[in-house]
Amino acid sequence: MNVKKKFKGLSDKAVAWLFIGPSVFLLLAINIYPLIYAIRMSFTNFYANKIGREPQFVGLKNYIKVLNKEAIWEKMQVTANFMFWTLLIQAVIGLGLALLLNRKFKGNELLTTLIVLPMMLSPAVVGVFWTYLYNPQVGLFNYVVNFFYDFGSFDMIGSSELAPWSIVIVDTWMWTPFTMLICLAGLRSVPNYLYEAAEVDRASKWQQFIYITLPSVLPFLLLALLFRGIENFKMFDMVVELTSGGPGSATELASINLKREAFEKWKTGYSSAFAVILFVTIFGFGNVYVKVMNKIKER
Amino acid sequence: MILLFVSLFTFSANSNAKSITLGWAAWDPANALQELTKEFTAETGIDVNFEFVPWPNFADRMLNELNNKGKTFDLLIGDSQWIGAGAVYGHYVKLNDFFDKEGISMNDFSPATVYAYSTWPKGSENYYALPAMGDALAWAYRKDWFDRPELKSEFKKKHGYDLGVPASWDQLYDMCTFFQGREIDGQKRYGAAINTERGSEGITMGVTAAMYAWGMEYENPNKPYDMEGYFNSPQAVEAVEFYRKLYEDCAPPGHSDAYMVANLDAYKSGQVAFQMNWYAFWPGVSKEDSDGRVSGFFANPKQNVAAATLGGQGISVVKYSDKQDLALEYIKWFARPDVQQKWWDLGGYSCHNDVLNSPSFPTSTVYAQGFLDSMGIVKDFWQEPTFVELMLPMQEAIHDYVVNGKGTAKGALDKIIEEWVEVFEADGKL
Repeated sequence: MNVKKKFKGLSDKAVAWLFIGPSVFLLLAINIYPLIYAIRMSFTNFYANKIGREPQFVGLKNYIKVLNKEAIWEKMQVTANFMFWTLLIQAVIGLGLALLLNRKFKGNELLTTLIVLPMMLSPAVVGVFWTYLYNPQVGLFNYVVNFFYDFGSFDMIGSSELAPWSIVIVDTWMWTPFTMLICLAGLRSVPNYLYEAAEVDRASKWQQFIYITLPSVLPFLLLALLFRGIENFKMFDMVVELTSGGPGSATELASINLKREAFEKWKTGYSSAFAVILFVTIFGFGNVYVKVMNKIKER
Repeated sequence: MILLFVSLFTFSANSNAKSITLGWAAWDPANALQELTKEFTAETGIDVNFEFVPWPNFADRMLNELNNKGKTFDLLIGDSQWIGAGAVYGHYVKLNDFFDKEGISMNDFSPATVYAYSTWPKGSENYYALPAMGDALAWAYRKDWFDRPELKSEFKKKHGYDLGVPASWDQLYDMCTFFQGREIDGQKRYGAAINTERGSEGITMGVTAAMYAWGMEYENPNKPYDMEGYFNSPQAVEAVEFYRKLYEDCAPPGHSDAYMVANLDAYKSGQVAFQMNWYAFWPGVSKEDSDGRVSGFFANPKQNVAAATLGGQGISVVKYSDKQDLALEYIKWFARPDVQQKWWDLGGYSCHNDVLNSPSFPTSTVYAQGFLDSMGIVKDFWQEPTFVELMLPMQEAIHDYVVNGKGTAKGALDKIIEEWVEVFEADGKL
């Protein structure tokens, strides 16, 4: 009662602030402050492990260094390849699985549960056990592939041609269920009367898919891909456990390189500049993507 | 009730005051140390808690702790390469006064280990650690296969010399290729399990075993940090090319990111004829081979010069510890010759001269002589405060060349020098 009385004295605006205050505080403390601090650090030659050494202002030197470094562009290319293939494959398979599970058949629920199991696992654990699956001598993966076509012995993780695919396969195995679930939610929100009307108009199944199903599910699919895109841009644990970024730097994603620069080489200023560049990149892409997605939704 | 509470509180406060925490890597010698330390607790009443971190995370975990001035550890058995950072950034307590006061003389320890594990600047008389665990990279081989008459004669016929402990890297290669893909007892076997790990230090420790044997120097002896023509000398290039050849022609399939445990597993499971690994693992290998029939051990083979990659660690007192006095008491106890002898007996590698110079030492185990030989020829990676920054580009460039097959050995070494120059410039050394 007392609490009620106390709240009675507060204006709507004050109550609103009371509710959002903790969130705003946490956002400022955990996101905004470190971001501003990182931006500040990116203009210095700060090394976090060099105790007692005052950071000096170096202007845009770190940014120029990052952008001119060939190795950084190689890492960005590895990241872009990884994102492109994982998103493409997950979109196709995820949508396909959602269409399949949208039908009523015996064992539908059980199959759905089994399919979503991989995304409930820890990425680090997934990375570790896939290293065993990929083992050319005892791994199940090679055995299964060779069962269908005899490629002989091949090393998914040790070969520079195959290693990028090894991380794409694992990420697809793990996260396609996520795309599928979002698409399934989209499919189940399509009103039945649209299909009934289409049947009346003698639309074929293909036409129903193209003109009803796909436009209805597309915003959901795009949303799922946005989430996956952001996640894969900062992908770290699974790849580190699986390949350590190797062989050489064949699977060294930008985030792995950033971690090595920041917390192993302790180049804090330089890595802050790199982090800001990555942030601007993903923020820019994200914004454009959301605008496109909204336009599609409005159609 | 109140009395009970007070006595409980007092007991807990007392037990906390008389305990220290020691950090090390999680491996066999750590278990031996834990066993040995029971005697310290019995003698002094000081409990020692252990925190052992798996090797792949060891450096990250410990160096982050030190950089954050953490108080988790009172004692740290840190890698030899950390000594520079420990001293320069003030993470380790300087032990000179303590050694003088307690009569601990560094002359009682093997000179190579004192130089490598204790001093900074290198070779000076500033001590930041007591040599705790001597170690070097060495080799184990399947003696039981080597002893088979049909294999011996086939090898001799093919190469013109006896199948046995290789006297050079060239001979090692001959033997590895001899076993590569060979069927023994109905199973396909391979040549050698060598270091190829990408994430921490594995491939660097492996390739330097070859580079040192070819005569590589990191820098101009007369002009520190002048690496051009030394680190990328023709001998160094040849050694890196050789290491790639060894990986391509002799490693078991899938051995592309392997270090200590993976090498050990490949060897123990009977996949390979040779494994490259640290002496620290030989007590474990030897224990499973009580009659000495299966495994033999040898020091890193010579090529142009006799040399071996240094491993091992010194024990240091962490500057941020609130229990430095107890930690120093542990070091005083650990430095005692009788404790050092027990350390060796339990499977630790003592660096104390009384142990190493004992007439019975070379024959005390099948790998003891090899250990002595190795400790006389060891070379270490940079021990600079920036050693992690120096290690990472080498890991990447060497892995890229050896495992990924990208570029040339000269190109890889040039790239490493380029990165190292940048590190030394940032550190004010150049």
